[in-house]
Amino acid sequence: MASTCPTTSRLLQLPAAVRRVALCQTLTPTVLRASPIATSFGRDSPATTITNTQGRRDYATAQANPPPTRPQTPSSSSVNETEVSHFSALASSWWDPHGSSRLLHLMNPLRHDFIRTCLAREAREPGEKLRYLDIGCGGGIFAESAARMRNSAGVVAVDPTPEVIAVAKQHARQDPTLMEPGNLQYINTAIENLDQHLPDAAARQFDIVTLFEVIEHIQHPAPFLRNCLDSLKPGGWLIGSTIARHPVSWFTTKFMAEDVLGLVPRGTHDWNQYIQPHELRDWARQQPELSTSDGPGWQMQGVIYVPGLGWKQVDGSETIGNYFFGVKKRGLASN
Amino acid sequence: MPSRPLLLKRLLALPPTLRRSFWSSSSTNTTTTPPSPSQPELYDIVCVGGGPAGLSFLAALHSHPATRSLKTALIDTQDLTTSRSANDANDAYSNRCSSLTPASLRFLKDIGAWEHVDRRRVQPYHAMDVWDGVSGSRMHFDPMDREGGAGGLLGSLAEMLPGSRFQASRRKYETAGMEEEAGVVATMCENMNLTAALLQRLKELQKEGTGVKMLDKTKVDSIQLGSAPASDTAPDLSQWPVVTTPTGDRLAARVLIGADGANSPVRTFANIPAHGWDYNQHGVVATLTLAPPSTPTPFHTAYQRFLPTGPIALLPLPNNQASLVWSTTPHHAQTLKTLSPTNFTAAITAAFHLLPTDLTHLLTHPNLSYPSELTWRLPATPAKTTNLPANFPTITHLQENTRAAFPLRYRHASTYTSPHLALLGDAAHTIHPLAGQGLNLGLADARALAHVLADGVQHGMDIGTEGCLDSYSAERWGRNNAVLGAVDKLQKVYSVGSGPVVWGRSLGVEVFERLGGLKGLVMGAAGGGSGGR
Ligand SMILES: Cc1cc2nc3c(=O)[nH]c(=O)nc-3n(C[C@H](O)[C@H](O)[C@H](O)COP(=O)(O)OP(=O)(O)OC[C@H]3O[C@@H](n4cnc5c(N)ncnc54)[C@H](O)[C@@H]3O)c2cc1C
Repeated sequence: MASTCPTTSRLLQLPAAVRRVALCQTLTPTVLRASPIATSFGRDSPATTITNTQGRRDYATAQANPPPTRPQTPSSSSVNETEVSHFSALASSWWDPHGSSRLLHLMNPLRHDFIRTCLAREAREPGEKLRYLDIGCGGGIFAESAARMRNSAGVVAVDPTPEVIAVAKQHARQDPTLMEPGNLQYINTAIENLDQHLPDAAARQFDIVTLFEVIEHIQHPAPFLRNCLDSLKPGGWLIGSTIARHPVSWFTTKFMAEDVLGLVPRGTHDWNQYIQPHELRDWARQQPELSTSDGPGWQMQGVIYVPGLGWKQVDGSETIGNYFFGVKKRGLASN
Repeated sequence: MPSRPLLLKRLLALPPTLRRSFWSSSSTNTTTTPPSPSQPELYDIVCVGGGPAGLSFLAALHSHPATRSLKTALIDTQDLTTSRSANDANDAYSNRCSSLTPASLRFLKDIGAWEHVDRRRVQPYHAMDVWDGVSGSRMHFDPMDREGGAGGLLGSLAEMLPGSRFQASRRKYETAGMEEEAGVVATMCENMNLTAALLQRLKELQKEGTGVKMLDKTKVDSIQLGSAPASDTAPDLSQWPVVTTPTGDRLAARVLIGADGANSPVRTFANIPAHGWDYNQHGVVATLTLAPPSTPTPFHTAYQRFLPTGPIALLPLPNNQASLVWSTTPHHAQTLKTLSPTNFTAAITAAFHLLPTDLTHLLTHPNLSYPSELTWRLPATPAKTTNLPANFPTITHLQENTRAAFPLRYRHASTYTSPHLALLGDAAHTIHPLAGQGLNLGLADARALAHVLADGVQHGMDIGTEGCLDSYSAERWGRNNAVLGAVDKLQKVYSVGSGPVVWGRSLGVEVFERLGGLKGLVMGAAGGGSGGR
C-alpha cells in the first residue's frame, strides 16, 4: 500500500491518546493487525480539546423551520443536492467489496442482527412475512440482503440519486432470485414523493422502515423522519443507523477516514449533521404514535469498527461513533 | 481448427480471470461443441464430488434450518447407490479406512449421519504406541492413563491437530464425563461405511423434502462461466459457473463446490494453484488378520513405527482385523505389491520387529522365504533393542485383494475460494497419511463451509460472493496449513536414518518419557483430580 508510510508517520506525530483512538477505528489491517478492541474509547477520547468548535443543531428548530423553498424537483425537501451529486460520483464503486463502500458491506450483517434484536420480543406468527422499505438505499447493499431474508414479503428501496438507483438495479441482476416479481423494487425518489410512485396507500405501508447511514446526510431530519413514520404500519419498526456528533467521531470519520487515510472519499460526511442518540430519542418521545419504552419500544446499540476483526457491538459506544437505533410505532389496539 | 495443445497454449496466455472461464475434461472435444443456447437450470449449490468431504458438507447444509431448503445438486462419476452392498455382508474389510478423530465423530453425530454408520464395522481404539525404528525411543499415547504420556514433536503435533486425542482427553479430564467415547483416541472406519451412511442421511433428508438432486455415474464434462445476459433486463449469470454433463444437462451454480479429490477439475477451472511436492513415497495399504490376543480386552491400540524409509502403521479393525498403512519408497512399494501373500505378511512383521537394515535386506531379496528368515532373525532381535511394545499382535495373514499403493503428496491450494466457488477436502489439500488427518481435515472443512453459508443466509448475503465465502477460506486455510506443515516436518525429521537429527529426536522423545510428572501435566491438564480408570 503506497500510502502506508506517510500515513503512519503523520499518525505517529499525534498525541498518544488520540493516536490510539485513531488506530482503533480507522487503520487498515496491514498496518495494525492485532489492535485492541476499542472498549475504552470514552476514557481516552480527546473530548476536551475539540468539543464545541461547531454549533449544535436543534430539532425543534429543524421542525419549526420547514425546508427553504428550492426549485421544486421531484426530489425535494429532505434531499441535499450536494449529497446527491456526491453519491452519484460514488455510484460506480458501490459494489466493489474492496472499494469505498467496504465498511458498509462489512456492517450489513450487523444491521440484520439489530433488526432481529428489535423483533425478538414481538409475538409474531412463526413464518410471518414482513414488508421492508429501505430509505436511502444507495447501491442496494441492505435492500438486496433484506430481499433475500426468509421473513421478507418484499422490499421497496428508494433513493433520490438516479445514478445509485441505476447501479442498484444493474447489480440486482446478478442474483436471479432478486428479480422474481415482488421481491425487490427500486424507486428513484425522495421519500416524501413515494405516493407518486405507489399511489395505493396500502402499498406504502411497511412493517420495517430502514434508514441506514442516512440521517447524517439530511439537512432537516425532523420533517424527514415524520415522512418516514407515515410509511410505517402500526406495530412496525423504524430502524436506522447513524453517527453520533462527538469529537471522536469527528476525528475518526472526518479527519482520519477522509483526510488522512482516504478510507472513504472526502466530503462523504458533514459532521455538523451528525445526530446524538439522545436527540433522536427526544424527537421520538415527541411523536405520539411512537412507543419509546426501553426494550419493547426503543433499542439502541453502538458499534465500532476494529481493523482485522470488523464491526463489533460495543455497549456504550453509541455516544461517540456509529450506532443503531430502533423505535416502534404503537399498535392499533394497545401499546 | 486449431489443435488441442495449441488451444491450451492460447488459453494459458490469457489473463487468469479470463482463463478461469473455461474448463473441460480432456475426454471430450471441446472445440466442436458450441455452448448450448438453452438456459441452464439454477442451483444454489452444485457439489462436484461425493466423497466424504462433499457428502458431509451436503448433509450438514440440509440439516441446518437456515440452509435446509437451498437447492442443491451432487455430481459424481461413481455409482453412489451401490457402494454399501459391496461390503455389507461379509467379514472382509475395505483397504480404504480412516481414523476419525473425536471432533469428526461429533460433527457426524451433529449432522445425523453417525447413526447410519454400520457400528459393527467400526473400531474405536484407546491407545497409540509410536516408536522410532532408528533410535528406538518410544512414546505411548493413552488418554486413560495419566502416567503414560507423550511429548516432543509428536506431542506438540497432537496438540495442534484439531480435535486430536490430546484435546479430547483434556476435555474428558476437565469434564470428567464418561460418555461412550470416553478414552477413545480415534475410531477406525472404512471410507465406504462412512460414505454409505452419509448417503443414507441424505436420502432421509430427501424424504423430509430437503433433498439433493443426485447426478451420480456422471462425469463433469465441462465447466464454464454463464453467458452474457440476452437483454438489459435479464438476469446476469456471467459470473456463475455452469457445469455441463455428458447428457447435456447444464447446471448454473450460485456456489460451485469442488469436493472432487486431489486432481480437482473444479480447482483447475478456478485456476487456483496448488503448491507442493511429491514425497517420493508410496502408501501401501492392506487389510490384515491378527492372531486373537491371549487375554481378550475391550481396549485396542494402534501402532506406528518410524522407519528411515517412512512410517508403518497398524490400525485396529473389528474381529481381529487390522488396517495397514505403510509409507515407503516407490521401489519397496512395488516389491511389496508383488510379494507372495505369505512373504507380504512376514514382511510386515519384519517391518515392526527387525532392525531397519534387516528389513532392507529382506526387501531387496524378494525371493527369500521370509517366514523362515523370521524364524532365526526374530529371536536374534530382542524387543529391548527395537523398543517393540510388549503387546504387539501377531499378524497371521493378508485379506485377499486388499493390497494397493498410492503415491504420497503434499499439496495445498493457495486459496479455497473465488467468486461463486469453494474447495474442500482433498481438492484443497493433500497430506501425508502418517498422522491420519486427511479425511478429518476434509470433514472440518465441510463443517466450516456449511456454517459460513448458514451465517450468510441468515444475514441475507448472496452466498456466492467473496464477502460470504472468504470467511471460510480465512477460517480453514491457516489451520490446515499449520497441520499440513507439522505433518510434513514430522515426515522429514523421521525420514532421516542417522546423524544429529536422529540423536536429537530420540532425546526429545525420551526426555519427555522420563519426566512422568510433566507428562501427567500435559495429559491431564488440570492437575490433581482423579482421571483415569
Ligand atoms: C494410503 C492412504 C491412507 C489414508 N489414511 C487416512 C486416515 O487414516 N485418516 C484420514 O483422515 N485420512 C486418510 N487418508 C486420506 C483420505 O482418504 C482422503 O483425505 C479422503 O478420502 C478425501 O476425501 P474427499 O471427499 O476430499 O475426496 P475423495 O474421497 O477423493 O472424493 C472425490 C470424489 O470426487 C469424484 N470426482 C472426481 N472428479 C470428478 C469429475 N470430473 N466428475 C465427477 N466426479 C468426480 C470422485 O469420484 C470421488 O468420489 C488416507 C489417504 C491415503 C492415500
